Amino acid sequence: MSVFTRRVRGFRLLDLVGIGLLVTVIVGVYLAKTLAGRERAEIAKIERQIKTEKARIRLLQAEVAHLEQPGRLERLSVTYLKMEPVTAHREATPDQIIDLARAGPPKKAKAVSAVAGLIDGSNGVPGVPPPPPAEANPVRVAQAQAPAKVAR
Amino acid sequence: MSLSQNTFGRSGLPRWLIERIWGLEHAFERARASGKAEDDTRLRIFFVLALFSLGFMTLAIGATRAALFSDARGGGAMASLGASRADLVDRNGMLLAADLLHYGLYIDPREIWDTAETRRGLLKLLPNLEPERLERALRGNRRIFVLGALTPQERNRVHQLGLPGISFEPEQRRVYPLGTSAAHIVGFSDAGGEGISGAEAAFNDDIRGAARAGTPVALSIDLRVQGALEDELYKAVAEFTPKGAVGLVTDVHTGEILGMASWPAYDPNKPGKAGVYAQTNRAAATVYEMGSTFKAFTVAIGLDAGVATPESTFDARFPYKLGYRTITDYHAARKILTLVEVFQHSSNIGTAKLAEAVGPQRTGAYFKALGLTTPAKVELIESARPLTPKVWNEDAVASTSFGHGINVTPLAVARAMGAILNGGKLIPLTIHKLEPGAKVDGPRVMSERTSLQMLSIMRANVTGGSGKSANISGLSVGGKTGTGEKYDPAIRGYSHSKQVSSFAAVFPTTGGADTKRYFVLILLDEPHASARSAGYSTGGWVAAPAAGRVIERIAPFLDVRRRADVGQAIPVLEPTVEEMGEGQ
Repeated sequence: MSVFTRRVRGFRLLDLVGIGLLVTVIVGVYLAKTLAGRERAEIAKIERQIKTEKARIRLLQAEVAHLEQPGRLERLSVTYLKMEPVTAHREATPDQIIDLARAGPPKKAKAVSAVAGLIDGSNGVPGVPPPPPAEANPVRVAQAQAPAKVAR
Repeated sequence: MSLSQNTFGRSGLPRWLIERIWGLEHAFERARASGKAEDDTRLRIFFVLALFSLGFMTLAIGATRAALFSDARGGGAMASLGASRADLVDRNGMLLAADLLHYGLYIDPREIWDTAETRRGLLKLLPNLEPERLERALRGNRRIFVLGALTPQERNRVHQLGLPGISFEPEQRRVYPLGTSAAHIVGFSDAGGEGISGAEAAFNDDIRGAARAGTPVALSIDLRVQGALEDELYKAVAEFTPKGAVGLVTDVHTGEILGMASWPAYDPNKPGKAGVYAQTNRAAATVYEMGSTFKAFTVAIGLDAGVATPESTFDARFPYKLGYRTITDYHAARKILTLVEVFQHSSNIGTAKLAEAVGPQRTGAYFKALGLTTPAKVELIESARPLTPKVWNEDAVASTSFGHGINVTPLAVARAMGAILNGGKLIPLTIHKLEPGAKVDGPRVMSERTSLQMLSIMRANVTGGSGKSANISGLSVGGKTGTGEKYDPAIRGYSHSKQVSSFAAVFPTTGGADTKRYFVLILLDEPHASARSAGYSTGGWVAAPAAGRVIERIAPFLDVRRRADVGQAIPVLEPTVEEMGEGQ
């Protein structure tokens, strides 16, 4: 009996096989699409999160750069930590320590920082970088400390 | 058969397929020939069914593949919104400019329930929002853009109001986190992402290309050097209240600009709020009659041309007539000076005599070779053309030998100074970071011997001349003061009260021609004397101290160590008026 003429409960085997195959493929594709859609949504969600985080990181990097402006750091360190720029006089290698000790303590800084000088008590807002002196009416350095004359 | 043999008689898959089709057709023919027509029909139905099944299977496999393995990045508008301009960073990777995600606010009045509440809520949260613009949007009949550049925080705050009809669209906005710091060298770009000034304009295409590659563009500046330079320049500005000021730090061997400051400064985040005067990069776009700073060039030319040695003498006892000018000295020594003393006393008479000995044509040729007659070679589009004498004759030499009658940009001075301090090669300036150890070559304009002699002479000017206040112990600073009187159209002559005061410094002056060496220029345009400057506003009093402080602060960043007088703690005395003269 040919495979084309064989019947099962009145239906041709060939038709049954075809229909079975069709249903299997339809169910398979449906399941694949459903599962993939779920996975796809999850991937898209994670990728959105990554992009949002990256955008936040960039914002934070810009904020760090803003907060680390040299002028602002100097103003804050002068105001709150009483620090000042390190001069070449205060740099030495270990070999130079004895010579430096003989020479005595380093002399005092000549003048206060311009940034510190620009800080008027009422205008010094922490976290806000200091502006350069105004164009029309420049701010004067607050009584720069006169350098102490040292004998040769 | 002949058809199959002739047409398809090839090897491989086509041949196999054709054989199968012919075989099937033969089966049909055999079925028909044997009188079983139903077999013929079934065969044909089976064949069509098989073809459809094959097609369907192909489609199913394709659909499954597309569903499972397709690109799943369709995550909203933000996904496709990339930066149009790359980050700008300094030579150490510190951020100078970046495209950041912002949001544009849109209003669709057709979806708004409560107009008054919407108006009240938005105006309260967004102080930058213009009420007239909001009103126009609320009374319109279509969705309209209202405000741009909202930060994510601002957007979230508006979101939390829960107002219908309000929507946002992401947009990239150029942000300069350092504000006024390094504003002129970084420049700014417009809302359309095109560079307008500074590095933003100079590297416009590179920045756009780098954005596609996702890499930053590194500038030559060192933010630490820039910070110290700006701080000391602003300090001098605050004290001497000039109408403009310039600070420059360059590497004389590579031409890299490590720091560039121009005052008044502006905030590139709000360029529209600053006038053109503040936006002008005075280091590149403004030309000045530099005054005595030019004597460094004249002396170098005299040495290189072989018409003088450091020991050559010049009679500076009497005013000297050259061309149409009678030349005098501001602080007349009234004696015969060696070339080194001419430099130290900043003698106009001695310098003019030296230039006359060199000759007008040769002096002009040297000035041209030093790049002083053309715009400074640098990427900045602002680099301005100098004002130079039309003819190099005795009149021109009489003026230009000590920096009058020739207007150049500070950048041009820095480039030419680099040539006489780096061993004699004229190299282009650059705001692009070069690889460490990069060698930059250029045409030789001076001999190495002349360059080394100039280093010694400039050092002598700081130890015993008008540049004493720039002397920093152990850093072997050399330099030349300059005070150029400005031409005043009102009096049709040079003003004695309006000056351009500058100090051109180099450090360290010790070591051979290849020693790492840096040039520092401080220039104040129309400074005013202060109590501390003994009533003077000349370069030696207003610019040299600032240059010294800049050098003292940046030397550690540039890895220049103190030498020779290490540990001797030689005090840097405030120079007396007698010692410094007028600091010309």
